[in-house]
Amino acid sequence: MKCRDARRLFGAYWDDELTQAEREWLESHFTGCTGCRESYEVLARSLELASGLPRVEPEPDFAERVLARVRRTESVPDRLPVATPRWAPALAVAAVVLVAAVFAIQFGGRNTTRQVTQAVAVNPAPATSTPTPPAPGDAAVLEPQLVTAEGFSDSLFDHSADVEFVLDPVTVRRGQAHPATKLAPPITSGEQATITF
Amino acid sequence: MELPVPLERDPSSVSIVPVSDEDLMGRAAEDDERAFTELVRRFEGRVKNLISRVLNDREASDDLAQEVFVRVYAHRRNYRRGSKFSTWLFTIAANLAKNEIRRRVRRRNWFSLDALQEMLQDSAPQLADPREGQEMALQRGQLAELVGQAIAAVPEKYRMALVLRDIESMAYEEIAEVLGIPGGTVRSRINRARGMLKRKLQPLLRREGSQ
Repeated sequence: MKCRDARRLFGAYWDDELTQAEREWLESHFTGCTGCRESYEVLARSLELASGLPRVEPEPDFAERVLARVRRTESVPDRLPVATPRWAPALAVAAVVLVAAVFAIQFGGRNTTRQVTQAVAVNPAPATSTPTPPAPGDAAVLEPQLVTAEGFSDSLFDHSADVEFVLDPVTVRRGQAHPATKLAPPITSGEQATITF
Repeated sequence: MELPVPLERDPSSVSIVPVSDEDLMGRAAEDDERAFTELVRRFEGRVKNLISRVLNDREASDDLAQEVFVRVYAHRRNYRRGSKFSTWLFTIAANLAKNEIRRRVRRRNWFSLDALQEMLQDSAPQLADPREGQEMALQRGQLAELVGQAIAAVPEKYRMALVLRDIESMAYEEIAEVLGIPGGTVRSRINRARGMLKRKLQPLLRREGSQ
């Protein structure tokens, strides 16, 4: 029992945390108990070996290397970058343009149709010439226009025909119409339509 | 005749050595790189030593110690003014070291207790001559390597407490803060770790032969 009590105090004895009474009792026990004394000596030698291990020497450039790493880390976002294909931004813009076009067709289709129809009926000449507004009472001019307007669907385009939407990448990138599209009259039916904004 | 500018008047030459660790960290939190650099210089050795002893891998200690300081800087604004800087720093270091141990254990059985015991048994015959003494028979470097491996073979949760206490000489209360465990648990872990280390090193010690 005495030896067990003594061994419980080994750690505190090594740390010099025993009371004077405990220390004196343990040391007197050591004088009479070779087993406990040698056991403590092994413990003490083990801890001496551990604490006496060679320490890692500081390196002169360590702080600079840490700072360089800090700067690298700070310049990189927390999340790992996801590899993005180069065409992705163009595709995203094209998608937005397409959605906007669909909205324009759906919600602005009625007015646009009438305007286009009027433009076609009143002044079928190329866009380079200034359109002449019809006189308010000129029924002879307006009559074919009304007939034509009834022939159009509610949308800008005739959905009964296959229409291919061509998104001009030049137009998309620069945010303005491609010169070629300005010259060409708007196509409202047929096989191909160029959308510009 | 132009007089040399006294060192005290040159702002770049003002020594910041007497400034406390906590004040330096306060400055570092306000993006003062010089204060941060001074902290790195002050604690580089201790952080590397802790990691090196816990992992028993000196080469990895440099890289991991860098990571410790990078995290200190990254989280500099989370530092609570008034709290002890070294406790905060060693908490980060201990957590990174523990993570590294777990990562290595996941990858493979990094610390093989069996291999260590085998090695300790192999080294025992070299120490058989009682006139010379077992410790003396070992080369100093070899002994350090064996002791390092004996520490590394102590289970991680005990090893960390042992290294902080018996190698880094940290107070029990600070260890409790660093590891986030009660003081009584710290003491119990350290006592157990010491017992384990003692048993592992017994074959190397001269007096062990008589028991």
